[in-house]
Amino acid sequence: MEKSIENIWKEGFLKSDALVVPKINNLYNQKSIHIIDKFKRMFKINLIAIVAFSFAFLVVSFIIGIPITGIIFFVTLSVLVVINKRLLNDLEKIDIGISSYQYLKAFNQWINKQVSINKRFSRFLYPIIFMSLVLGFWFKDAEGMPLGERLVNEILVGFPDTYLIFGIPLIGIVIVAVILVLLFLVGGRIYKWDLNIVYGRLFKKLEELMTDIESLRS
Amino acid sequence: MSSDFYNTSILPFAGIIIKLCRAYTSSQQDFEDYYQEVCLQIWRSKDNFREESQWSTWVYRISLNVCLTLLKKKKNNVQHFVSDSITAEETENNYAFSDESLNLLYDAIRKLSEIDRAVIMLYLEEKSQKEIAEIIGTNPNNIGVRVKRIKTRLKKLLDGKIN
Repeated sequence: MEKSIENIWKEGFLKSDALVVPKINNLYNQKSIHIIDKFKRMFKINLIAIVAFSFAFLVVSFIIGIPITGIIFFVTLSVLVVINKRLLNDLEKIDIGISSYQYLKAFNQWINKQVSINKRFSRFLYPIIFMSLVLGFWFKDAEGMPLGERLVNEILVGFPDTYLIFGIPLIGIVIVAVILVLLFLVGGRIYKWDLNIVYGRLFKKLEELMTDIESLRS
Repeated sequence: MSSDFYNTSILPFAGIIIKLCRAYTSSQQDFEDYYQEVCLQIWRSKDNFREESQWSTWVYRISLNVCLTLLKKKKNNVQHFVSDSITAEETENNYAFSDESLNLLYDAIRKLSEIDRAVIMLYLEEKSQKEIAEIIGTNPNNIGVRVKRIKTRLKKLLDGKIN
């Protein structure tokens, strides 16, 4: 190779066609999406969807006679929305004008914080949703008495020796407790698994970029 | 975005934006998307400019950060984060300069990692090691070594192709 890289660069850009400025038009209807904008948009849509769903479910729960489920759902999902709205506000603060390392680091830290908080929350979210369904149906009116009590009475007819604690069969309590513990244990993993399907590639790429820049810093 | 802002604050630096965006894209359509995205982000972030650095350095930073973190929706609807590693073979035929040597150099640059692309682009724009380190956020002492390594790699990639 005769020419130096520097000369190829300089000479190449002396030609008139090399730096033709593209037309700026239709600016808000692009195919490319900046990653932070994408997250902001996704977050906003998700939060609105959660609010709409929890409110709709609250109404439906009263109509179908399981208001306890609806109320617990509504309160839990509202907490989730408040937490994620605060996370979204943090995302808005990331300044794109800082150095690439600081920028990627800030974004990476935000993602890690977001994942960590939602992962922890998921550990409680799934058990709470399950418990709300159990309670909702337990207290659902079944011809003048709660469905749960009615069910226990029928069990006692078939199995009179069933051991009860506060009027609830021990076996039922054990089954519900086991499911709650399992949901607590796998809740975080379900969230991480779901997240990796959608953004696994992104996380990997961010990690690679960070590693590359950090090797330059060391 | 007002045309005044574009004409006075972005257009004078369009050259470097074009050069950077070219290194991270493989088609005219992608390039135009990246260019527009950079302009959009500069405009959106203009209030954050605190005059701690030169406006040009700030434009470099934003251009680079946008190129490093851009999502592309490809035709097959698969979402790709950042510019994927682009090979010369994947570059569209019509996405070329009239200078063949420059095309070959760009093809070689596109084979580098994202960060190496940024380093060599800033070096070729005659930015000092200190400025490159400031823009990327690294240690200036390591930039010189990295530039040498990248140039050796580029020479190997271009070996026998340019007279």
